[in-house]
Amino acid sequence: MSFVDVEFAFFFPAVLLLYWLLPRTRVAQNSFLLLASWVFYAGWNWKLLPLLLFGGVLDYLIGNYLGARPVSDPAQRRRRSTALAISLTWNLGALAFFKYVGFFAHSFNRLFEAAGLGATLPELQIILPLGISFYTLQRIGYIVDVYYERIAPSRSPLDFLLFTGFFPQLTAGPIARGAELLPQLAQPRRLQPGVLASAAATFLLGYMLKAWVADSIGSKIVDPVFGASADYSAGLHWLALFGYAMQVFADFAGYSLLAIGTARFFGIELPINFDSPFLARSLPEFWRRWHITLNRWLFDYIYNPLVSGSGWFRGRFYLTLVLVFLASGLWHGAALTFISWGLMHGIGMAVHRGWDEYLRRLCRKDRKYVTLRKSAGYAVAAWALTQLYFMLSLIPFHAFTLTEAVNFARDLFVAHGDRRLELGAIPKVNEILCVGFVILLHVLDMPAVRGTRERLLRVPAPIRGMAYGAVIVYLFLFVPVGASTFIYRQF
Amino acid sequence: MAQALRKALVDWLDDNYHFGDAESLIGGDDDKSFLQNGILSSLGFVELLLFLEKSFGVRIERKDISPANFDSLRKIMNYVLAMPTYRGPR
Repeated sequence: MSFVDVEFAFFFPAVLLLYWLLPRTRVAQNSFLLLASWVFYAGWNWKLLPLLLFGGVLDYLIGNYLGARPVSDPAQRRRRSTALAISLTWNLGALAFFKYVGFFAHSFNRLFEAAGLGATLPELQIILPLGISFYTLQRIGYIVDVYYERIAPSRSPLDFLLFTGFFPQLTAGPIARGAELLPQLAQPRRLQPGVLASAAATFLLGYMLKAWVADSIGSKIVDPVFGASADYSAGLHWLALFGYAMQVFADFAGYSLLAIGTARFFGIELPINFDSPFLARSLPEFWRRWHITLNRWLFDYIYNPLVSGSGWFRGRFYLTLVLVFLASGLWHGAALTFISWGLMHGIGMAVHRGWDEYLRRLCRKDRKYVTLRKSAGYAVAAWALTQLYFMLSLIPFHAFTLTEAVNFARDLFVAHGDRRLELGAIPKVNEILCVGFVILLHVLDMPAVRGTRERLLRVPAPIRGMAYGAVIVYLFLFVPVGASTFIYRQF
Repeated sequence: MAQALRKALVDWLDDNYHFGDAESLIGGDDDKSFLQNGILSSLGFVELLLFLEKSFGVRIERKDISPANFDSLRKIMNYVLAMPTYRGPR
């Protein structure tokens, strides 16, 4: 079951209604949400529910074990380290087993084959538990934060199990920090009409991005060209790549808004996951705006501890950046294409850092470079380069094999196919509106225009209601028939 | 002591990110958030931590690494000056 499935249209209103009819106590609300979350998960595969529960119970116990042994007590150091190691081994071990065993067995077998060795490892076909990549990171973040005493452990098993399995974020995040979510779960929630209205607006925006923008662009522009690359011209390859950037953004930002909106209906606030990434003027800025909760996790729990710690990586910014993005690529999927995508971004971040250091050296010597760095021309060039690099990195991200990625990249320049995209007049206008909508969302987020957006959000409720009604009618007419899954759900 | 530390911090911001404009960005408000006002990015924070450890003899504990301690001039000064090993700007 996902946010755009028919089952969800029955499941969600029933859960919401019952939730707000319950006594407004923490225990009643959290127990009910936990039960609903288990039903949601079991609806996908009940056999893997024990995996979710066992990991949750283990981390609850380890969190409290750590909480009872302060970091200031040297006698506890070894026990604390052992407890942390047990949690990390379980969480990373489960992730590695379900996500990477098949990939590594397959890769080793190809290697053995190439070396002329007869030995083969069994290539298991393992079901990837829904959301494991997301809830594993959330749990690791919690345990590490408790270990370093950044947060106190959750004393309530009920709160903690809900923290690790809250259904709106269970399948694909946003990955919350313990400090963000646990204090909310420790309090009863009150029904506030303003919050419900905001939840509905967020949910509608998410649905527009996913079901209208992502699915329209995906089915009419991206899939045809990526599916029969040799038939289309180089120009249409560029259009499809641009379309894919729009599709991935709308799909995952849409999913995130659906998750945030759904949680808000229950009075729970999840962290934002996207902040107009197509406005970014550098790769570091891009990753602060795109899949924010994953990237802050990677920086908080891998990059920062490595470069500021006392180990070999201390001060080795370039290498650590590459390592972090390789980890990001591997997190996205056990495939050479995702590893290449991660490597591209690791190298991109390292090159950006090198360039920025060089420019900063020039700025220290001569003020004219400071003026250049702040000029509109530099901003436009930096923006165009950043967005082009991201778009090109989507080639391996989309491809199933490296050969397919290389062929598509080559076809961006040499393809001569004469097949046209089969768009009628109305679908063509719809596609333009989809792209226009993504651009509008970004423009309204620019500092110079932000006041206009605030004024639009303050228009009287009846006008807003009519606008929402018109949007819903439009969606009925133009959302492609046949529910599709979310791109990030597979990770 | 506090003023010397403040000057060293502003100099570091100028030397690495703002090239003479750090003071105007801070605008006389030592509580101004570095992250929210674009004075320092999250990547820049790590470099700031390394600078503080190298220049002032302080050892920053993992548990202390958060915007609550380093997101403004005043927060940094409060944190660094409270460290027993603080040895002043070099």
